[in-house]
Amino acid sequence: MKKRLASMIFVMLLIFLGSFGLAAAETVKIGVVGPRTGTAAATGKSFTEGIKLATDYVNAHGGVLGKQLEVVFEDTAGSPDKAASGFERLVTRDNVVVVLGESHSSAALAEIEVANRLKVPFIVAEAWADPITAKNYKYVFRAGPSNSGVVNETIAQWVVHEGFKKAYIVAENTDWGLGIGKLCEAALNAAGVANQTVVTERKGQDHYTELAKIKAFNPDVILAFVYGTGLHYFVAQAGEMQLSPHAIILDGAGPPSLWPDFWNNVGDYGNLECLVSSMHKDVELTQLATLFRQNYEKEFGTAPTDYKSRSIFDAVLIAADAINRAGTTNADALVDALEKTSLTVTRGQVSFGTTKGGPEYHQWMPPMLVIQWQDKNQVVLYPLAGATGSLKRK
Amino acid sequence: MFPLALTNGLVIGIIYALAALGVSLVVGIMNVVNFAHGELYILAGYFSYLFADTLGMHYLAAMLAAVGLVFLLGMVIEVLLIRKTYGNDLYSLILTFILSIVLQNAYLLIFGPYPNKPPNWLKGATNVFGLFYYGNQRLAACGAGLVVIAIVYLMLKKTWFGRMLRATSQDREVAELNGVNTTALNMLSFGFGCALAAAAGVILSPIFPVTPTGGVAVALTAFVVVVLGGMGSFWGCVVGGLVIGLVENFGAAYISSGYRHVFGFIILIVVLLVRPAGLFGNREL
Repeated sequence: MKKRLASMIFVMLLIFLGSFGLAAAETVKIGVVGPRTGTAAATGKSFTEGIKLATDYVNAHGGVLGKQLEVVFEDTAGSPDKAASGFERLVTRDNVVVVLGESHSSAALAEIEVANRLKVPFIVAEAWADPITAKNYKYVFRAGPSNSGVVNETIAQWVVHEGFKKAYIVAENTDWGLGIGKLCEAALNAAGVANQTVVTERKGQDHYTELAKIKAFNPDVILAFVYGTGLHYFVAQAGEMQLSPHAIILDGAGPPSLWPDFWNNVGDYGNLECLVSSMHKDVELTQLATLFRQNYEKEFGTAPTDYKSRSIFDAVLIAADAINRAGTTNADALVDALEKTSLTVTRGQVSFGTTKGGPEYHQWMPPMLVIQWQDKNQVVLYPLAGATGSLKRK
Repeated sequence: MFPLALTNGLVIGIIYALAALGVSLVVGIMNVVNFAHGELYILAGYFSYLFADTLGMHYLAAMLAAVGLVFLLGMVIEVLLIRKTYGNDLYSLILTFILSIVLQNAYLLIFGPYPNKPPNWLKGATNVFGLFYYGNQRLAACGAGLVVIAIVYLMLKKTWFGRMLRATSQDREVAELNGVNTTALNMLSFGFGCALAAAAGVILSPIFPVTPTGGVAVALTAFVVVVLGGMGSFWGCVVGGLVIGLVENFGAAYISSGYRHVFGFIILIVVLLVRPAGLFGNREL
């Protein structure tokens, strides 16, 4: 009797394990890395929203290799050591076939080393430092802005277009901030715009002394490369010191000026602030952008604000497309497929650079917009083809 | 630049001193390092935001209610957690560290990742002698900080409760022999230390909005001030706060603002090399 019972339990266990294995085999797993805690935890929220919409979209359109797409998220907290270990866990524990995401350049720079070592394709969505693609790693791609792209194609051109004569660059001491600050200096020098730079702490709260230095220079525009809540402090304190709006502030990253608490934190000092963004409801480049906005509103009951939800949405679609075209989850086949990508996403037509030697390798740069808050309405200033209004100074 | 760096250094220094006072008090009386001090500061900011913004309370009532709630919570924490660890300082250190992590994650879950800010009491800025503009809210925060520091000083020096605290910090056994109920005093002291963190939180949160992880920097600065001034010293806290505030501002103004907080640590190291017990070390509370 005992023997029969034991055999029955054994058979049931086999059936259970078998069905578990079948269920596991019915999905293709991809990983996402990004900050869900720490100073940029808001990005994790945007990523989660974008992932939800993207997986629904992909699975509703046949999934991946005939299976359902499954996304596993690892919190990096914006810290390089957590980023590297989180990336490794996704590959070794969760067996993901490709990793996407990241928002902090310093975290992404740690992750690309793991991607290269483990030979797993990594599509960076929103970490801008040039070295991420300039290292020319075979398995590293970026479907998002790069520092050099944002500066040379958008910010520097906008500064010249508006006729600003003196600019002040405020760069936080991170890979992103210092990198984009240097590129801005070079671009403004080349354009003949007088400029100075101050470096600020990533987690700095009090900017009064920096603002005093800036005020002494009397700039027309302040290019603020400060991420997270620090940007809110900066805008509010610049207003208190009567520096803005005499000098127009440009939020060089974008999302902090779009966060729901922006106006509560900066008050009236937020009016006439400018920001760099890849999203505006009046400038939707593709039908998928409109569909994304409609689906977002249906799912979350509000219009999308932080454009990083759209960045990760696009990255998931790019990965799913590459896996389907490769017909396999083999890493080298995926790299080949990614290099041949020609896909329309919310921000335009994706194709990755394949020429080695600079940051353009494995890079696709979406078009960026300069937007100004005018009485709490977003007005697109640049590029001129998409402009919905012009700069207001006071 | 000099007048602004001096003014801002003093204002920020007063606020640093206030944030550190609660840490110093708890260390001086209970020999407990409260690693969750910063998270209680943040909690008060969230409370005042909720009371003033969501419930529409007057900002002063919201601030007092927030401080009162954190005071009660501090006493509960002492009874339920800290009390079990007496006799082993390391346990209280680990316990409060775990508490800080738990609170950070709870804030993220409850309040979300975005910063929250209660309404300003005073909007706008004042032109200081035609030299620079300075935020009215900062001036008000400095004034409020000075008032709280003065109240704490008078309470320690002039009241029966203050005498009990000082006696216990000097010699716990003798205090007990003289009828001080040190069990109740520990509970009140920890609650009082938390209330001071809360006072700093409600005063500062209209200037520096609170975030789930924002307490880490606050606690770190408070610890630097306490160690610099001398563990458990009232005047050490005040002078330590002012020194750190001034060093950071002059360092940022004349050397590099990218390393503002590094200057505070450098001063701390220098002072500890010369005076290992801190500026006012071994002085009574």
